[in-house]
Amino acid sequence: MLVPLTVFQSKGQKTFSILDGERRYRCVLELTEEGRLGKDGKPMRLPANVVEPPSKVAGLLYMFSIHNIREAWELMPTALGLKTVIDELKPPDNKSLSKLTGLSEPQIERCRTLLAFPEKFQNMSLDPDPVTRIPSNFWIEAKPVIDLAVEKIPVIANLGFERATDKLVEKYRARKIKSVIHFRRVIESYDLNEGDPATLARVMRRIEEFFLNPTVETRSAFDEFILDKKRIQSALALCNEFIEKLQALKVRHMADDDERSDLRSALKQVRDYCNRLEEDLRGSDDPDVTTAVANVDDTV
Amino acid sequence: MWQIFYSIKAALRFRDYNPQPISIRSAHEWMGQFHKGDRRLAGKLLSNVLYFSEKETRQILLMLNAKLMARLANAGVPAKKTVYVSFDETASSSHMMLGMLRDHGALLQRGCNLRDSRDIRGLQEVTNKLEDGAIIYIDDFIGSGRQFGKARDFAMQFVFGNFAEFMLVPSICEEGKAEIEARGVEVVARNVHLKSDRALQATSTFLNPEDRERATAICRSINPRMALGVEDMATMVVFYRNAPNQIPALLRGNKNLTPFKGLFPRTTDLPFEKFIQQPKRMRE
Repeated sequence: MLVPLTVFQSKGQKTFSILDGERRYRCVLELTEEGRLGKDGKPMRLPANVVEPPSKVAGLLYMFSIHNIREAWELMPTALGLKTVIDELKPPDNKSLSKLTGLSEPQIERCRTLLAFPEKFQNMSLDPDPVTRIPSNFWIEAKPVIDLAVEKIPVIANLGFERATDKLVEKYRARKIKSVIHFRRVIESYDLNEGDPATLARVMRRIEEFFLNPTVETRSAFDEFILDKKRIQSALALCNEFIEKLQALKVRHMADDDERSDLRSALKQVRDYCNRLEEDLRGSDDPDVTTAVANVDDTV
Repeated sequence: MWQIFYSIKAALRFRDYNPQPISIRSAHEWMGQFHKGDRRLAGKLLSNVLYFSEKETRQILLMLNAKLMARLANAGVPAKKTVYVSFDETASSSHMMLGMLRDHGALLQRGCNLRDSRDIRGLQEVTNKLEDGAIIYIDDFIGSGRQFGKARDFAMQFVFGNFAEFMLVPSICEEGKAEIEARGVEVVARNVHLKSDRALQATSTFLNPEDRERATAICRSINPRMALGVEDMATMVVFYRNAPNQIPALLRGNKNLTPFKGLFPRTTDLPFEKFIQQPKRMRE
């Protein structure tokens, strides 16, 4: 091995933790299991630089970096980790926070949304039992719906943010929200009918009922307002058309500096918009929770 | 003759088994459920049981803890930088062991921190405040280690400081030890329960192959699904307060003690009216 591992030893522990070089370590481990030995006929020995254990914040930033490269971190630990970084380093804005942690700004926004909920609700996502845990995405997806209802519907405004949130939690526990992504139907119903007062009034009444009646299921309540699928097909066609037309223009090897600069800045705008849109369209249920709930349903 | 001999032996060795007190009479009744030709085999199997009485469990926990604390103190981790963590369901063995250690090992007086792995917020707050130190998980017995692994992996997502992790446990199966050590948690145990120590495992020489097959067949006839316990581990460790769910059916018996009454039923195996409604003195 040419580059030594970087390891540290926690106080009191006999073993070492790898800071850098885990893949090299695993590789050598597998070779040893296959029976390959070192030149001296003994199991291979790994050179390592032993460094001081990282401080809490350094360790945390390292964890962010690992999770950015390998397996994505769950939203809740990311949010709590981010809170620790904010408390310790007090970065002035999301941009510097993004630089520090490697998280994208929309990811940071999501974490901030989660942290804006009272601890009582955050703790529901810290339940180790996936059957009773409220997935952290629930809060992200529910927040626009709660905000809309509290702002536009007097009855829900009287309830206030916390009690309105309680109502949605109750509904989720009653399995009337099959997927947290279904919250988007509520906002979509509102957005699509903003220009049609008669339908909008019906949407608002439905939202009120959705909050107050725990048996009303999301899809059955809002599907009638968003049946128009043409928008999605148009958006898909536009994406294909954009790429095809741009390819047909054969601008890849253009020479003029000004034109190149203009095109690059226009493309950057398109890229930023697309990245943002793609981030917004992301979102899924917590697979642990979905599986656990499905298993419970199967056994009932 | 064998029945009486092994019944006396069982009553002497296992007399403080909590869920169902073991007397000469109850041990005699347990052996009486086997065919005459199998009674000696059942009795012999009892000699393979590694039993931890309350006193012994307490002594081992205290001794292991004292050694670990001394080692940590030498390495610059004082008691106030340690977090003792119980895990699993409320009132499970892990909680009992932590309670025992708290009271007899004076953990609170020494300034140690106590948390439950389900209290993620509390665990995060204390580890954030300490920044570094040691996390010590407690239990009486670890079988496959998977139950612990799940609880630990979930909780550790929220621990950001630099903490050495230890599992303090009187007895642990070799499978569990490997599972836990793979996570970088150091096992501090009195006994590692090897497969070869378990009479009904193929690698054991405690019984001859014919006897082992016969005993396994008896287990299957008692509980076909869990003949050798969870994941066929066939562990032979029993604690005064409960038996692990990895022990063979021949020792554990059936749910509600029917049709086969085990010598070491788990607390959840006992019929409600017997276990819950009657105080211990009346049961005896």
